[in-house]
Amino acid sequence: MAGAVGGLISLPAWANGWTADTVRSTPQLLSRSQDGLLAELVETIIPATDTPGAKGLNVHQFVQKMITDCYPVTAQNTLRNGLDSLDGLAKTAYGNSFAGGDAAQRTALLTQLSQSTDAGQKEFYSLVKGLTVRGYMSSEYVMTNLTHYQFIPGHYYGCVPVAQKNQKTTSQGK
Amino acid sequence: MSYINIDAQAQNTYDAIVIGSGISGGWAAKELTGKGLRTLVLERGRDVRHVTDYPSTNMQPWEFEHRNQLKREVREANPIISKCYAFYEGTEQFFVKDAEHPYVQDKPFDWIRGYQVGGKSLMWARQTQRWSDFDFDGPARDGFAVDWPIRYADIAPWYSYVEKFAGISGNKDGIATLPDGEFLPPHEWNCVEKHFQKKVAGKYNDRHVIMGRAAHITKPQPIHFQQGRAQCQHRTICERGCPFGGYFSSNSSTIPWAAKTGKMTLRPNSVVHSIIYDEKKGKATGVRIIDADTKQMQEFYARIIFLNAAALNSNLVLLNSTSNRFQNGLGNDSGVLGKYAAFHNYRAGVSGEYDGDLDSTTDGRRPNSPYIPRFRNVHKQEMGFLRGYAAGFSAGRISRSDQSGVGADLKESLLNPKLGGWHVGSHMMGETIPKETNYLALDPNLKDPFGIPQLKISIAYDDNDDKMVKDYQEQLTEMFTEAGFTNIRVRDSHASPGLDIHEMGGVRMGKDPKTSMLNKWNQLHAVKNVFVTDGACMTSTSTQNPSLTYMALTARAADYAVKEMKKGNM
Repeated sequence: MAGAVGGLISLPAWANGWTADTVRSTPQLLSRSQDGLLAELVETIIPATDTPGAKGLNVHQFVQKMITDCYPVTAQNTLRNGLDSLDGLAKTAYGNSFAGGDAAQRTALLTQLSQSTDAGQKEFYSLVKGLTVRGYMSSEYVMTNLTHYQFIPGHYYGCVPVAQKNQKTTSQGK
Repeated sequence: MSYINIDAQAQNTYDAIVIGSGISGGWAAKELTGKGLRTLVLERGRDVRHVTDYPSTNMQPWEFEHRNQLKREVREANPIISKCYAFYEGTEQFFVKDAEHPYVQDKPFDWIRGYQVGGKSLMWARQTQRWSDFDFDGPARDGFAVDWPIRYADIAPWYSYVEKFAGISGNKDGIATLPDGEFLPPHEWNCVEKHFQKKVAGKYNDRHVIMGRAAHITKPQPIHFQQGRAQCQHRTICERGCPFGGYFSSNSSTIPWAAKTGKMTLRPNSVVHSIIYDEKKGKATGVRIIDADTKQMQEFYARIIFLNAAALNSNLVLLNSTSNRFQNGLGNDSGVLGKYAAFHNYRAGVSGEYDGDLDSTTDGRRPNSPYIPRFRNVHKQEMGFLRGYAAGFSAGRISRSDQSGVGADLKESLLNPKLGGWHVGSHMMGETIPKETNYLALDPNLKDPFGIPQLKISIAYDDNDDKMVKDYQEQLTEMFTEAGFTNIRVRDSHASPGLDIHEMGGVRMGKDPKTSMLNKWNQLHAVKNVFVTDGACMTSTSTQNPSLTYMALTARAADYAVKEMKKGNM
């Protein structure tokens, strides 16, 4: 799309986009091991298939960035405490660390967390899952390659047959 | 010594001074320079140049560190501005932060401001509906405020004049309450909006659903290319500034146009303190500013002054312009300065769903929506409240995905969203009645960071507004029901006045100097070389988004001012 309107919208230097480096939280919200665990957690929520998963798209860093900068301060403890309890829960559930489980074991554990009667666990799960989905869906990779976001539609057509639109694009990507 | 002072004075002397560079100040600058006047434009904020000073305009969604969500510290430090729908990570740079210019909320009022070259014209909602005589007649017919000193015929040619230059899209609907203008092609309707239009037309003779008239270039004309503006690209991120100049703003249009004449001196970072009044000459001679960088006071002089600081700040400037002759504010012989302020009531909304037309959807994005002109109390007083409301309306479908699972299933579901049913929504735009008790004043003690008295805002809803909210909710519910919409819900946000960002009045126009501040040419009755042509001049508010009327009044007043100067009357 950008090419269609020429040089007018060539990206200036201040619009380089977010990368793993620019979204790294300062000061660090999590320890190195917590960070690694969060990466495994988001990857379990949205795993690599024939396309990258949440870890490969650095969604765990996005999650930390948002909690550090935007969320109520209490969310920081929710995240840390939740991560710290994760390995213990994994031990009980399948006798290994969280990362040591296979995909099925980890998925089952998260399903269990989502139904937990423990308010802290439930809050931790919905916080991380919500931000994971948001970070994944709004990542450059997904919006560019999978949902085909149109930055410059150049039009608004009011009455388009659904069938015709489905043919044209796989998804609108909003 | 005196030689040097005279020299300095000559250097600071212009034919005209325009205070403010927003939507009306930009027009004043364009018109006055276009007529050959050496014009100084004073802007309290920083310079914002078209395109180059729109840092977020070409940023993709993923390029925002926080995906356009406000940081916690920004939200906590700015409880007022954070309420504004257009204030987000990508637009923070265009809004005044709460601590920057404090004011006194005698009653709760969210004052939303943009201090920069272009003012709020960068972030406005771009709706541009004309007034009709059903609006100008309001106060006289219904016995509130004072009679407007002008009628539609006085302003109609000026609406045409500004519309052609600004670029207004719309359809010629032939509705008496909302006169047609010089339109570029209208935006498209979707199927459900068309359905609603037809259903409403079938049931009510006096209710119309039309496409909003909006300041978007849907088909550029030579005059737009001359401004360096191109066709709207439907990005719908207008409030970040548009690199195409697809919508009208001072920055893309009037200010660069004025600059091209070579007659304009634009002075950003110039906080106006007051207008200087010379008792011997019996007129205003210039403007005192505080340089925002040096904090030094400085004076500039001119034969005429256009005050376009935005409604509440224009009141503030006049209230703070005191002299022996005008101890209660410049031109304030009547004592009405600051009083009869009003706004638009945007509290209420109605939403619903529609399960028809499921084989159709939309493609692309539209920076506009349909509009329902006022239908209450139009020909005569018939309701238990004064005046009425216009309404916005729109329909759309969103794709949703099941987000309940975890793992590969969740991923699959996220990447294959299902197109949902139609959602419909409306919001009200109610006329509020200007009253003496809704007023602006200077706080006797509190000062802003420049040492200028803080503005005390005492503005509130009344019973008339509550009744109107109820009627709007009932009528839209009835119209939605007629159209077969379901799950209809009404809401009343009870938001404080201010978030409509349509504050008006305080320096109202009128025929009688005893009850108004400005005459029919927007000239202070008592100081003929001072013109106020922003929202402060509004005698009543009616229901239309007001910016187009400010533009037309400004061009009209500038034309008159220059003619009077040439006659030697200034």
